[in-house]
Amino acid sequence: MGGELERRLMSEGPGETEGTGDGAVATREIASRAVAISKVYGSGETAVRALDEVSVDFPAGQFTAVMGPSGSGKSTLLHCMAGLDRATSGEIWIGDTELGRLNDRRLTMLRRKEVGFVFQAFNLIPTLTAAENVELPLAIAGDQAERSWFERVTGEFGLSKRLKHRPTELSGGEQQRVAVARALLSRPTIVFADEPTGNLDSRTSGELLTFMRRSVDEFGQTIVMVTHDPTAAGYADRVLFLADGRIVDEMAEPTAEKVLEFLKGLGD
Amino acid sequence: MWRVTMKGLLAHKLRLALTALSIVLGVGFVAGTYVLTDTINKTFTELFTETTKGIDVAVRGKEAFGGQESAEQRQPLPAATRDRIAAVPGVRAAEGSVTGYAQFVGKNGKPVFTGGAPTLGVSTYSTPGLNEGISLRSGGLPRGAGQVAVDARTAEKQGFTVGSKVKILFQGPAREFTVSGVVGFGEADNLAGATLAAFDLPTAQNVLNRRGVYDEIDVVAAEGVSPETLRDRIQAAVGPGYQALTGEQYAEENAKAVGQFTNIINIALLSFAFVALFVGSFIIVNTFSIILAQRTRELALLRCLGASRRQLMRSVLVEAAIVGLIASLIGLGAGILIAIGLQGLFEALGADLPTTSLEIRTRTIVVGLVVGLGVTVLASLAPALRATRVAPVAAVQEATMAAPAKVGWMRVTTGALLSVLGLAALMVGLFADEAGNRLVTVATGAVLIFLGIAVLSPLVARPLSRVLGWPFAHWAGQPGKLARQNAMRIPRRTASTAAALMIGLALVSLVTIFAASLKASTAKILDQVVAADYILTGPTDSFAGFSPEVVKQISAQPQIEAATGLRSGAFKLADGTGKNLTGIDPVTYDKTVRTDTTSGSLAALTQGGLAVRDDVAEAQGWKVGDLVTMQFPVGGTDRIPLRAIYEDNELNGEYMLAMRDYQRHYQDQLDVFAFVKSKPGVSPADSRGAVDRVVAQHPGVQVRDQAEFKQEQENQINQILILFYVLLALAVVIAFIGIINTLALSVLERVRELGLLRAVGMTRRQLRAMIRWEAVIISVLGAVLGLVVGVFFGWMMVAALEEEGITEFALPVGTLIGLVVAAGLVGVVSAVLPGRRAARIDVLRAVTTE
Repeated sequence: MGGELERRLMSEGPGETEGTGDGAVATREIASRAVAISKVYGSGETAVRALDEVSVDFPAGQFTAVMGPSGSGKSTLLHCMAGLDRATSGEIWIGDTELGRLNDRRLTMLRRKEVGFVFQAFNLIPTLTAAENVELPLAIAGDQAERSWFERVTGEFGLSKRLKHRPTELSGGEQQRVAVARALLSRPTIVFADEPTGNLDSRTSGELLTFMRRSVDEFGQTIVMVTHDPTAAGYADRVLFLADGRIVDEMAEPTAEKVLEFLKGLGD
Repeated sequence: MWRVTMKGLLAHKLRLALTALSIVLGVGFVAGTYVLTDTINKTFTELFTETTKGIDVAVRGKEAFGGQESAEQRQPLPAATRDRIAAVPGVRAAEGSVTGYAQFVGKNGKPVFTGGAPTLGVSTYSTPGLNEGISLRSGGLPRGAGQVAVDARTAEKQGFTVGSKVKILFQGPAREFTVSGVVGFGEADNLAGATLAAFDLPTAQNVLNRRGVYDEIDVVAAEGVSPETLRDRIQAAVGPGYQALTGEQYAEENAKAVGQFTNIINIALLSFAFVALFVGSFIIVNTFSIILAQRTRELALLRCLGASRRQLMRSVLVEAAIVGLIASLIGLGAGILIAIGLQGLFEALGADLPTTSLEIRTRTIVVGLVVGLGVTVLASLAPALRATRVAPVAAVQEATMAAPAKVGWMRVTTGALLSVLGLAALMVGLFADEAGNRLVTVATGAVLIFLGIAVLSPLVARPLSRVLGWPFAHWAGQPGKLARQNAMRIPRRTASTAAALMIGLALVSLVTIFAASLKASTAKILDQVVAADYILTGPTDSFAGFSPEVVKQISAQPQIEAATGLRSGAFKLADGTGKNLTGIDPVTYDKTVRTDTTSGSLAALTQGGLAVRDDVAEAQGWKVGDLVTMQFPVGGTDRIPLRAIYEDNELNGEYMLAMRDYQRHYQDQLDVFAFVKSKPGVSPADSRGAVDRVVAQHPGVQVRDQAEFKQEQENQINQILILFYVLLALAVVIAFIGIINTLALSVLERVRELGLLRAVGMTRRQLRAMIRWEAVIISVLGAVLGLVVGVFFGWMMVAALEEEGITEFALPVGTLIGLVVAAGLVGVVSAVLPGRRAARIDVLRAVTTE
């Protein structure tokens, strides 16, 4: 299997992925793009290179999973792409905006309007009800949620009857569904999910991923999800594999089995 | 365990520093008060030892007549007594002395300002040994009717030198003297701020209204006779009507009198220090609760590792003790600085204390440490108990962020019980007659009520925060909504933070309401009772009255219908209880002050006699025509006929004595007040002019019409109010430190939540606004609770003092609203640091799971 990986690396080169080629842009709109981004922690001899010249495109309306062993840089990539952390070098685009030039305030505004988030845990403000949590980014911006859209999203996620409850009264799965609904409500350019099923059992995970899949298929939402679970990756349109701060491979139309198989190969 | 404790302490340096600050301020206040009053006492002891130097035995009248309003008065000694003492074997010399009222007139024609200290006129001695109490700085002792010696401080301030002509006011008209010399008292330039005019004995007796009598007879012992022996011999010779003291005893007694005064200052300042510490204890409870709640997992882990509950408890208490000890030590240092500052303040006010080194007693240090340590450890007891009850399994469980609000029956019962007990104590203290130490009962009641409300307040913190947060939730966008939620989130925390402020604001609004009621009541008395157009008083900075000449001359003016002077004095009833009376001229008094008699008439007092208030007459069972046995400073016991019984008009005191009797029974004849009524039809400008022309001859007498007098009274009340505000400010400052502390700790606790808010699009500015509105909600909550309690206390107090003349309950709504607004504004300020801290939070910390 090692030979297979090597062949792919040789043919496409690191950082070169589907859609970044010269002519490929026209075929599909790009929601977000990274151009040769690096992230270095510390300096001098103790410097750690968490991301090493990574270039990647996330086409609109696609569900991308990012996988890799711990310390491979997958969370760092997500944080940088989402504007939660700044890359040491390189360019990050969300829609038509390059993040590197934005000050904290503009970056916050961008997160508010263009980016949705789902974290592994602690996604919700404990003092707010489910409905208020869903509306939070819009409320922060001083906007009102479009009623029909709010009902559609929360209905889709099976939350209609749980909207008045506070996070402590919701199950783990429900809490994550509220988080995904919140991420979708402002119709952001892109949603980043960091191990959203990390704290869930397999049945609830499956439910949540089905919802996420449906939001891509039915609402045309762009989602990037970091996960270490092959089953979760199986719900995506493609999987990126990271190792040592580089994208080492990718897989289109993944299934849980294919991904597991591939990871076994990487492990060798 | 010891190392865990120390590590815990070091890890929370900053949080504990803020906690410690409240103790530092409280202990500083306590220590400062002690150092100051001890220093004053020591100063006076030294001063009196100095002034009584040379006197081996002093003899004076036995009975002291002293009321709350008048200075101590004793019966004078006739010249014959001196002769009898001089004949006692072992007496080398015996000489009389007198002390009275002598007010210097400055070069500007106005009385010399003393800042409330007495203006003394005294006699000097012809026996050289007796004059050791004063030391000549320049010139010589006064000799003859035209000479005076002046204290060094007054001489320096007024530019008086030997040979200067000075004008001095007495009970009679002003007189001019030539300065014969300038005197000091050992190192000191004056007697603690008092001015001193010294004359030879005959002159002093003459000008101080002591003709033929002495206030005191001072004795020098012959060689080889001890003061004690001589004292006993003299006591035997003069009999029980007089009192003989050795010079040492005499100095001690004088110092004791000052001690009683400083004791009042001491108690007053200590009560404010106590308030500050009481408020501080809330901060400690809160900080320890929050810190320990945040360390729940750590404590549970220690339990998992085998630490016993007792060990955890000890660890937490040791932590508290170390904080308390360090804070108390710093507080002691701060206290000494405070004392130096206060001493400087007194000096700036003109009360010139002879400089002695600060008196720092062991008692001060012990009390400071015990109080600081005690408050800290006691306050940390409840949080420690709660925290150490943690189950070991909590170490492995996810900490629950939002504590559910439970209505504990224990809480309701305890809170209600404390409040009811406090209310009962308050009622007893305020309304029960002669119920032991009323002040202590009232204070205990107030403390219990505060504690009761503090215990109950978590129950109302949530609904009240909801109501008070409404404007923010509706007009301040999402940050406002979240702020309201955060304030409602842990009611216990919000409540105890607000409770600290409640105490401060309750006391502030209490004094505000009390002052307003006092003003309203005074105004009402003036409107309804005083028919006079002008009110005359002595110099505002001394309690001395003015010469009866003033009233006599004003009465003679054609524009004036009536002028009446009031004198005050102390006497004793047959059973020995001391009372105060007012000496009045019945005819003129009746024209200027409305008095309704229920029996007899004031006019009957023209033949001499007594009038008493109806409640006194009822209590004593007196009827008009009875003879009342009264003991006076002059003339001893007398039976005075009761001529009239009058209703309470809030101005007349309990006893009014006809002026002709007053003149027989009191040494000093000074009017403390005079009322002047102009003739009908005379223009105000005309009558005022007439009064002013007379008063111009008598420096120091102040004339005010009713409006001016009201204004003056209000100004005086306002000054005292400001003093109270300043003293209470410390408690309020400590309460705001508590708000800063709570918010800062909440920010640390909510790092992930704040990070999440930032991640989903909240700007730093919005985050700061959220913290700010939370601070404002807590502050206003505390202010509103404080206002409710303060208004209630104020109402109770006014009701209790109705008999003392406070008949009106006034609610200064504007000022009270201003207090709430001010509390909100300070809330904004106290949110600055926690807000900045919150804004600096790294967004990623919310995202990354541990």
